[in-house]
Amino acid sequence: MEIKVEVRKYLIENLMTDGPAISLGDTTPLITGGLIDSIGMISLVRFIEGRFGIVFAPREIDAQRLDTLDEIESLVSKKLTQAARAS
Amino acid sequence: MSEPEGCLLHEWLLRTARESPDAVAILEDGRQTSFRELLKQAGSVASAFIELGVRQGDRVGLVLPKTTESIVAVFASLFAGASYVPIHPRWPGERIAAALEDCGAAVAVAESEGVLGVRRRNGDGTVEWKQALSQSPVIRPVAQSAADPAIILFTSGSTGSPKGVVLSHGAVSAFVRWTAQEFQIDSGDRVASPSPLGFDLSTFDIFGMALCGATCVVVPESFVWMPRFLVQYLRDSRITCWYSVPSILAGMYQDGGLADGGAPDLRVALFAGEVFSSPKVALLQAALPNVVWANLYGPTETNVVTWYRVPPGFDSSEPLPIGKACPYAEVTMDTETGELLAGGASTMSGYWNRLEETARAFIDLDGKRYYRTGDRVSSGPSGDYTFIGRLDRQVKRRGFRIELGEIEAVLARHPGVVEAAAVAYDSGDRGTAIAAFVRLAPREAPSIIEIKGHCARSLPLYMAPDRVVIVENIPKGNRGKIDYASLKKAAEDSNRGD
Repeated sequence: MEIKVEVRKYLIENLMTDGPAISLGDTTPLITGGLIDSIGMISLVRFIEGRFGIVFAPREIDAQRLDTLDEIESLVSKKLTQAARAS
Repeated sequence: MSEPEGCLLHEWLLRTARESPDAVAILEDGRQTSFRELLKQAGSVASAFIELGVRQGDRVGLVLPKTTESIVAVFASLFAGASYVPIHPRWPGERIAAALEDCGAAVAVAESEGVLGVRRRNGDGTVEWKQALSQSPVIRPVAQSAADPAIILFTSGSTGSPKGVVLSHGAVSAFVRWTAQEFQIDSGDRVASPSPLGFDLSTFDIFGMALCGATCVVVPESFVWMPRFLVQYLRDSRITCWYSVPSILAGMYQDGGLADGGAPDLRVALFAGEVFSSPKVALLQAALPNVVWANLYGPTETNVVTWYRVPPGFDSSEPLPIGKACPYAEVTMDTETGELLAGGASTMSGYWNRLEETARAFIDLDGKRYYRTGDRVSSGPSGDYTFIGRLDRQVKRRGFRIELGEIEAVLARHPGVVEAAAVAYDSGDRGTAIAAFVRLAPREAPSIIEIKGHCARSLPLYMAPDRVVIVENIPKGNRGKIDYASLKKAAEDSNRGD
């Protein structure tokens, strides 16, 4: 499953109100770069939880961990591996 | 009224620590700090401040999230005879430096490379937090009066840089004493506000704890991202009194299960900072009927000056009133403009180091000094005021106050931007959003990402525009003034997908 592809698509279609003019790189800072705000973050987390069937714990979510597509992919992969091991 | 007895904020802690030393003063994610320990730590850190050169009347910058340590630093500043200046660590570096410079902070408490420490602003001198805690505590009676500054809160300034609102011990005390009395807060209560230290809302739980011997429950800032974590924390920490902006309460209701057994101990829920839609308040009240719901109103400059207790079965087809004056406040309406004028004990001394702006902010009427809130209100038959709108271009977003002019000033500082205009618009579910229209220099046109990045480097994130729209010309009216109404309409139309 291409985590980055899906998250990028979601971000551009739902959270980037500037439209298709924006091109998101794997390391473009999303939160600290002013592209999404805390409300956007809540929507993004909800999308990721629903789409990938994972549940975030308190303290897993902050701007340092989820600021770029690369970081999002790494956290989601980690959660998926944990979930696979636990089952 | 003469100076009320005992309104020095740190003396409340002294008294409570003497009377109930073992009671829990601070609870943060399972970690407890007793009043005795809080007093001791505050005294030790005060001693470190003094050693680094802090003198009575100085400012101490607190570049910290709200934590046990930052509450210790708040009281340490006051014990050292200084006022504290909260600055959010997530602010861009240049804004943090500018704020510390502007208030002339003698020292700043901040984390640097994972280590918490106290640093002199000018010149060398650093004491690590752990080292500061090992100093012998200084708990000395400092000759201070109720009129001495206790806090300086930075708020958005329309000319392009934030300005510091100076609140005295007496001003903070007036508000905190009133909440304690009106909502009957006592040592059995667990009070919480998820607002950062730089919000006047944070005076409620920190000083309510010291005055009443209640427990201040620190809400970890990362939880504010997720309503269900907040509700879980509220329930597990057995919070009894809550004070936040409406959007956080609404989030906890809609996405966090607040109404489904999420708040068994909650008895008082206060909200302030932005308009709370009546139907949402009605839902919350119907779901949690035993909780006292109250709308508190007041700009940072006056703290809370009016309030409205939501009555059972109120008419949710009408906007929720901001209510009547608190007993310590003087409130009146300018009959010509409808502007609410507010004064009294909780009002600021002035803006730090800005005499002209301070003079412009106040108006004298019948020998009383009123702050011009810039808020237009109506007055109903029951004497309750209701907020209608702003007289200027200030907007509120999730309780954060934003001057659109400050965003424009920051945009115009980018070398590739020739002209900029910012408007706020209603984006539906996502609440108030900000669109920035920019005209670019033809040769060095930056990308939208670059412009947004520039904003994020100069402004707190809540002020960064949601949309940046590149335009060939910014529409002007007949006198050359920017036509904000048409820009707002353009933003609203494209938000609806037209």
